[in-house]
Parts: sequence; structure tokens; C-alpha cells
Amino acid sequence: MHEMGIASSVLEAVHKELLRYPGQRATKVGLRIGEFAGVDAESLRFCFDVLVKDSALAPLALEIETGRVDEGARGDELDLAYLELEDAELEGRERTQEVAV
Amino acid sequence: MNRVAVEKKVLSENDRIAARLRDALDGIGTLSLNFIGSPGAGKTALLERTLERLPIHTRAAVVTGDIQTENDAIRLRRYGYPVRQITTAGACHLDARMVEEHITDWLERGLSLLFIENVGNLVCPTSYDLGEDAKIVVLSVAEGEDKPLKYPGIFRKAELMILNKIDLLPHVPFKIDLARENARSINPTIEIIETSCTTGAGFDQWLKWLTARAERKLASATHLAEAVSPL
Repeated sequence: MHEMGIASSVLEAVHKELLRYPGQRATKVGLRIGEFAGVDAESLRFCFDVLVKDSALAPLALEIETGRVDEGARGDELDLAYLELEDAELEGRERTQEVAV
Repeated sequence: MNRVAVEKKVLSENDRIAARLRDALDGIGTLSLNFIGSPGAGKTALLERTLERLPIHTRAAVVTGDIQTENDAIRLRRYGYPVRQITTAGACHLDARMVEEHITDWLERGLSLLFIENVGNLVCPTSYDLGEDAKIVVLSVAEGEDKPLKYPGIFRKAELMILNKIDLLPHVPFKIDLARENARSINPTIEIIETSCTTGAGFDQWLKWLTARAERKLASATHLAEAVSPL
């Protein structure tokens, strides 16, 4: 129900985190969602896809891992676990080539 | 491709504001309580009966969240305490920024009790820290006794469960022992108080809980300008 807000917070957090990596762009963001976080992964994925495609961060993939209490997690995690980065310029050149083809 | 660990909370911006709010509330010894429950669980009625029973000169205030309308604020204002409605215009929960924006001037004047009535919803409000001292989940006996099992998130995070509308017990199939058992299976340390806003049952116990917490909070205040009685 509040997954749109969460998806929007994820994009903001990625944007903020990228400031630490000049010249890089994110290709994938990894989230960890606990089983009691009150966030539905499928719904979040849907909202994320809707928001990201019109954002400056596109294309950006989303991977969700679940924090299971029986595996030692607290259960209420809603964490940005990692980012996968690539050289922004390199990616730009590849795109240009694609356009040329 | 290069993977970098981030390990930050998605809601870190909300948490940052909540921490700032908590510091401000702690500084002046304000006990802040975040009431969460389904629509119709009786959150507003519980606050009405509570405000009615507070000793005069209590520095209490209420912010109440709803998607639309000022109706709850209008109900709550009748008791003479400052009340502000937060209309979220679609959002299913309050966040720390909304609360901070609505209470800053109250904090400057001093406050011992802040009641935050969240939007009626057992899911989304659970994720948002509002700088409160405790979350209180309100469950009415007109609902199912399996709510703690269906919505474990809030029952894990709440310090107190108020089982409300107990005057209806003779008329509904609600098994109160099972409700307690279910809540404790999710959260073994949750406190439980049974109330009726119609008959006033349980309010002595609830006010006692509230007074004890408010006194403890005031005693820990770091920036108290003057000695005030909490209740």
C-alpha cells in the first residue's frame, strides 16, 4: 500500500549514494526486506519499475533479498544493501554505438 | 561491473528527521506515543476519553492523521487541548516530516504529552519512525483475534496493545484469551490493557500506565526550563 513511497525513497537513496561515486552510474540496486517489514516485494517491484523508467537512473535493475528471522535477521529490515556500478562514460559510449548500428 | 556495499536504511531520510524530533522531545521531557490500529478500532474515541480524564493543566497535545477530512481534529478539540489534523492526501501513514512540521511551535512552548494518532492502517505506519517513545497498537474486539498473526509487524514493534470495545464482548465471537495469546506469540513482552470507551472500563489502568511513563520521561529531560508536573 505504501510501496510507491518506499520505491521513491529507494530512488532517492540511490541518487544520494551515487554522489559518492563520481563518473559512475548504477546498474543494479540490491534491497534487503525483512519478513516483518510490512513491505510486499512484488508490489514494490511494480512501483519501482513504474518510477525508474522515467527517471535519470534508468535503466536500473532491482534485486530483493528477504531477511528471514530464522536465519538471524531482525525481521524489520528495509535496507539498501548494495549497488552495482559501472563507468558512466563507458556506458554512454556503448549506447552511442548502439544508436549508430 | 563493480558491486559496492551500501548497508543503509531505505528510509534513512525519515529516520534522520525522526531522530531530530526524538532529540527535541527528549530534551524537554515530552512523552510521545504513536497510536496505530485499523480504521474503526477506536483510536479517536480512546484519545477522547483519555483527554477527558487528564488532570487539568496537563500540557498535552494531539496530532491526528487521516487521508482526508478534519473530522477527528474537530472531535478531539472539544477537550480543550491543542489538536492538529494532518491530512495526508492519499498517503496511508504519517512520516516524521509531517509530524515535525505540525508540532515545532508546541515544543517551543513546552509539552509533557504528545499523542500521535496515525492513519487507520496496521501495515504502512509500522515502517515509519515518528520519533515516538512507544508505539501503541489498538485492536478492537469487533475485529478478528488473529490480527496479531496476520499483521505481525506492528504487534512486534508495539510496547502496548490496547484491546478496545470490551463492552461488546457478549455480542461478538471474539476470543479474548486467544487474542492475548496471539499477541504474545509475536511479542512476548507486549503489555496488554483492556478498555471500553463506552463504559470507561480499563481507563484507570491505562491512565496509570500513561502517568508512570510520562513521569519517567520528564525525569529524564535534559533541557527542562522550569519544573512542571507531568500530569
